[in-house]
Amino acid sequence: MATRRGRGRSWLIYGGLGLWATVSSFPFAWMLLSSFMTRGETLRRVFVPEKVQWANYVQAWKEADFGLYFENSVLIAAMQVGGTLLFSLLAAYPLARMEFRGRNAVFACILATLMIPESVTMVPNFLTVTWLHRSSPFAWLNSWPALTVPFLANAFSIFLLRQFLRGLPGELWDAARIDGAGHFRFLFGILLPLCKAPLLTVGMFTFIGSWNALAWPLLVTNSPNWRPISVGLQQFVSEAGAEVHLQMAGAVIATVPVLLIYFLIQKEFTEGISMSGLKG
Amino acid sequence: MDNRTKDTLIAWSFLAPALAVLAGFGIFPIGYAFYVSLHQWRIRKGEYIGFDHYLRALGEPGFLVWFIAGLVLLWCACRVYRSLRDRQGGGYLPILIAAGLGLPALWLSLDQGLGGLLETGDHRLYNGLKITLFYALGTIPIQLGISMLLAYLLFKSLRAKGVFRILLFLPYVTPVIASAVVFRTIFSPHPSSVANRFWALLGFENCRWLYESKSVVGLFLRALDISTYPAWVDSCFPSLALVSIVLYNIWVYIGYDTVILLAGLSAIPRHYYEAAEIDGASPWQVFRNITLPLVSPTLFFLSMVAVIGTFKAFNHIYIMRTPGARDSVDVLSIAIFDLIFEFHNAGYAAAMAFVLFIAILALTLVQNRVLGKRVFYGD
Amino acid sequence: MKKKAERAFRAAILPLLAGLLPLASCGGGDESARPQEKVVLEELDPSGQEVVFWYQHTREREDELLRMIEDFNRTNPHGITVRGEYAGKYNDIYNKMIVGLQGGTLPHLVVAYQNQARAYYQEEGIVDLNPFMVSPKWGLDSQARADFFQPFLKQDNIDGVQTGLPPNRSMEVLYYNIDWLEELGFDAPPATWDKFAEMCRKAKEQPFSKSPDQSRSLGFLLEIDASRLASMIFSVGGDLVDAEGKGYTLDTPHLRQVLGRMMGLMGEKAVGIVSEDYGDQKEFSVGQVLFALRSSSGLPYFKSAIEEDGVGFRWGVTHLPSGPAGPVVNVYGASISVCKIAPEGQLAAWFFLKWFTEPAQQARWVRASNYFPVRKSTAQELVEYFVENPQYKAAYDLLGYGKSEPSVAGYQQVRRLIQDAMVDIFDGGDVDQVLERLETAAGRSLAEQ
Repeated sequence: MATRRGRGRSWLIYGGLGLWATVSSFPFAWMLLSSFMTRGETLRRVFVPEKVQWANYVQAWKEADFGLYFENSVLIAAMQVGGTLLFSLLAAYPLARMEFRGRNAVFACILATLMIPESVTMVPNFLTVTWLHRSSPFAWLNSWPALTVPFLANAFSIFLLRQFLRGLPGELWDAARIDGAGHFRFLFGILLPLCKAPLLTVGMFTFIGSWNALAWPLLVTNSPNWRPISVGLQQFVSEAGAEVHLQMAGAVIATVPVLLIYFLIQKEFTEGISMSGLKG
Repeated sequence: MDNRTKDTLIAWSFLAPALAVLAGFGIFPIGYAFYVSLHQWRIRKGEYIGFDHYLRALGEPGFLVWFIAGLVLLWCACRVYRSLRDRQGGGYLPILIAAGLGLPALWLSLDQGLGGLLETGDHRLYNGLKITLFYALGTIPIQLGISMLLAYLLFKSLRAKGVFRILLFLPYVTPVIASAVVFRTIFSPHPSSVANRFWALLGFENCRWLYESKSVVGLFLRALDISTYPAWVDSCFPSLALVSIVLYNIWVYIGYDTVILLAGLSAIPRHYYEAAEIDGASPWQVFRNITLPLVSPTLFFLSMVAVIGTFKAFNHIYIMRTPGARDSVDVLSIAIFDLIFEFHNAGYAAAMAFVLFIAILALTLVQNRVLGKRVFYGD
Repeated sequence: MKKKAERAFRAAILPLLAGLLPLASCGGGDESARPQEKVVLEELDPSGQEVVFWYQHTREREDELLRMIEDFNRTNPHGITVRGEYAGKYNDIYNKMIVGLQGGTLPHLVVAYQNQARAYYQEEGIVDLNPFMVSPKWGLDSQARADFFQPFLKQDNIDGVQTGLPPNRSMEVLYYNIDWLEELGFDAPPATWDKFAEMCRKAKEQPFSKSPDQSRSLGFLLEIDASRLASMIFSVGGDLVDAEGKGYTLDTPHLRQVLGRMMGLMGEKAVGIVSEDYGDQKEFSVGQVLFALRSSSGLPYFKSAIEEDGVGFRWGVTHLPSGPAGPVVNVYGASISVCKIAPEGQLAAWFFLKWFTEPAQQARWVRASNYFPVRKSTAQELVEYFVENPQYKAAYDLLGYGKSEPSVAGYQQVRRLIQDAMVDIFDGGDVDQVLERLETAAGRSLAEQ
C-alpha cells in the first residue's frame, strides 16, 4: 500500500508526532541534563554538562530519605489503585447499564464531589479521619487508612468507566441473560475482560495522583513512617536557596518508576479490542 | 420480589462501597464548607452571621436578581426565537421579536445586574471568576483539539508507537515541583530564557512572560507603538503571565487527554473500520462518521472533566505565580487559598468556595444539556 | 427538562443535607480549649512530660536539630522527652495547626511567623510566654532577659502578649563583590546611597573580568519583595508604620527617595529587576551583578556557589548604605510558640525553649544552620566560627542595628499591596497616584481586621 499519497500521509503523521514529542520531552530533557550538572554549571546556564555527575543522585537519594519514602509511596499507591478499580467499576456498572430510581441524582451527586476546591476540603476530611481514628479499633492517622481510604472512590474514575460501559452494545446483556447470568457474573465475567483499556487508564491515573500527593499526606502523618516520596522532593527547596541540580536529580528519581510502569502497560491501552461473537 | 425492585437493590448494593467513601470524603466537605460559610470563622467557629459573607463577596442581592432575571429573559428570547422560526419557517419577524426581548434582557443582566455586582461585590471574587474564565477558555479548546489530533495520529502510526507514547506522557507524569521550576526558567524575563531566545529568533523583543501583568492585546498594541489605549483592553484580555501558565497547563495535560482518547479510540470495534474500507470511504469521512461519534463518550467525559478541573485549578498556577503578575493570574481557587493562609479567614473563604462550587455546577449542567445530546452511545 | 431540573435541585440540596446532619453532633471543636483555672506556675511539675515540636527544617539543619533534641532528652534534669516532627513548610504547618485547633491534636511547640502566631493566639491556640519569662523559678533572670537582642523579643510581642520566643534570626544584608569593586577603583563597600549609585553605573560599563558572560553586567538586581523595599527604607531611617506601630506610613519621603533612586538607575540600565527564582543570587555568584540584597540565611549557598565550583572571587557582606542615623538592618525570622495544652506540658515545652536559647545551644545551632543567635553572649562561643566565616562575622556585628517589619494585623496583605505598587511604579505608573492608592488600600486593610 505504499502509494505516494500513503507515503505523504505517513510523513505528516510522523512529522506531527515528532513535533509534539519534542515539545513534550524538551523540558524533561532539560531536567535530566540539569540533574547531571554541578552547581556551577547550573549557575552558568550551560546546556550540556561536561561530566555526568552521578553523585547528585546519590546525594539526593540519601538526603531526601528516598529509600523509605519510595517504599511508602509504592504501598500507598498499590492500595489506592486496587481499591479504586474495584469500587469504581462496581459503581460505574449500575450507572451505565441499569435503570433504577434515583440514578441520575446519584450520578449528579458523585460528580458534585469534584466541584469543590481542595483548600476547603482538607479540614473537614481531616476532622472525619480524626473521628474515625478515635472511634475505631485501629489507627487511621499516621497509618495507611488515612492515606488511602479517602481516595478509594473517585468521581473521575467512576465517570470514565461509566462512559465506557455505556458505549458497549446492549446485545451483550441480552445474550448473558439468556445464558442465565446475573448482574454480578455479567460484570465480572463478560464486561471486565472488555474493559482492560479503561481500567488500565483509571489505574494509571490513580497511581500518578497517589504518587504525587503532598499536602494531604503531610497533614495526616507525623513521622516519616508512612510519608510518600513527594515529601522527600520538598527537601531541596528552602527559603534561602534552591539547589537545582539536586532538585532535578530528585525529580528524575521520583518520575522514573511511574514511567517504567507506564511503559510496561502502555501496549495494552491500544491493542484493538474486537467484539468477538456479536457480529450481525 | 419483582425484577425492578431486585434490580434497584442490586444497583444500590453495587454503588454502596463507592458511595460510602464519597459521602464521607466528598459530600460531607461540601456541606461542611457551606456550614463554615455561614459563620464568622477565622480558625475556629465564631458567631453565626447567615449570608453576610455571600453578600460581601457577591454584592447587593438586588443586582444578583437583575443579573439572573436578565439571563432567564435571554433564555426565553432564545426559545421564542426557535419556536417562532419553526412555525414561521424563516423571515425577519422571529429575529425582530427575539431581539426585542433579548437585547433589553442583555442590558438588564449585564449593565444593571453585573455592573452593580461588580461595584458592590468583592473585587477578589469577580477578578477570580474572570481569570478562571480566561484560563478555562484558553486551555480547554486547544488542549482537546491537539489531543484529539495526536491520539488519532498515534492510533494510525505503525512504528515507534511505544516511544511516542512515553514521550507525550512525560509532562503529566513529572512531579509538578520539577516541571514548574523548569517552566519558570523557560518563561522568565531573563534574556537567556528559552522563551525570549525563541522570541528573538522570530525577531521580537524580550518579554517579561510570567512577570508580565499587561494583557497580550495591550502588549501587541504597544509593539505597534500605540501606547495609549483604553483601560478595558488590559482588563478584558488575559495577561501574558496567564498565557504563559495556560501554555504550561496545555503542555502538561495533553498527555493526560491523549492517553484517555487513545483508550477510547481503541475501543471502537474494528469491524466498523473494515466495513468503511470496503465501502471505499475517504479518511475524512471515516473520521467524521465513525471515529468521532464513537469516541464522543470519551470526548464528552474529557470536556466535562476539563471544565471542572480548570475551574478548580490551583496547584500549577500557585507554583507559577510571581509578584510581577500581580493579580492577573489569581484564579478563584488561589483567591480562596490566600483567604485561608494569608488573611486567616476561613469563613469568607468557604463562602467563595461555595460560590465557585455553584458556578461549576451550573456550568456542568449547561454543558451536559448542550453537549450531552450529541454523544453517541453506540446502541 | 424536568428531569434535569430535578437533578439539579437534588444535586444542590443533597450535599447540604448530607453535610449538615453529622455537624449537628460536631460542635465546632472545642476540645483544645482549657478551662481558665488559676494555675500557679511555681507549683507545676514538668517531670516526665513528652513534648511534641513541629518544625520546618530539612536536611543538615534538621539533622542537627534532631541531635540537639536527643542531647536535651538525655541531659535535662526533669526527664522531659522532646519529639521533633517535620511538619512541612510554613503553609503546611499552618494547615496542621488549623485542623489541630478544630478538634485534632495540637503539638506542644510550633514554629510560626508573627502573623500566624497572632492568628493562633486570637483563637486561644497558643499562650502568652510572659509569665514563663518572668517566673522566679522557671523563667529567665533579668540578666538573661537583657542578654537577648531586644528588637527580636519585641517583634514577637503583639499588643503586650509574647506570642513566641525567637530561636534564631536572619537579616537582609548587602552581598558585594570585593574583587570587582577593586577593578572598578573602589576599596570599600558603599557608605552612602549616592556612592552605591555611582558604583552601579560603573559596574554596568565595566564587566567583571572573570565573568563568563561579559555581555550582561549590572550593578544590582532588585527583587519585587516588600522585605527588600523595607530594608532600603529602614536603611535611610524610615519606617513602614508610625511611631506607635498602629498605622501605616507608606507614602513617605523615604519611600519616594528609595523608589526614585531605583527608577533612575533602572533607566540607566545599571539596575534590573530579579526575573527568575534566586536570580540575583545566581548572577552574583558568577560575577554578573555587583551587589545583591538577600537574607543572611543564604550565606552558605552563596559560599558554595562562588567558592566551590563557581567563578571564585572575594566577596563580603555589609549593611546597606545608611543615612545620618547610622546603619539599620531588616531582621526577621519565625519564632516558636507554645500551644495551649495542659499546663504541665506548657511548662515542659517552655523548658526546652529556654534551653534552646541558651548561649551554648545557640552557638551549636548557629554552626549548623547559619542563622543568627538571639542572645548577645553567644558571641563568646563563636570565636573560632567567626574566624572561619568572616562574612558571617561581618553580618553578626550588625545585629545590634536590627529593626523589624511591622507586626500589625493584616501586614501580610499590605506586603502584597506594596509589591503591586512596586510593579506599577517600575512599569512607568504615576508615582503619586499609585502611592495614594497604596495608602488608601493599606488603611482599608487595617480597618478590616
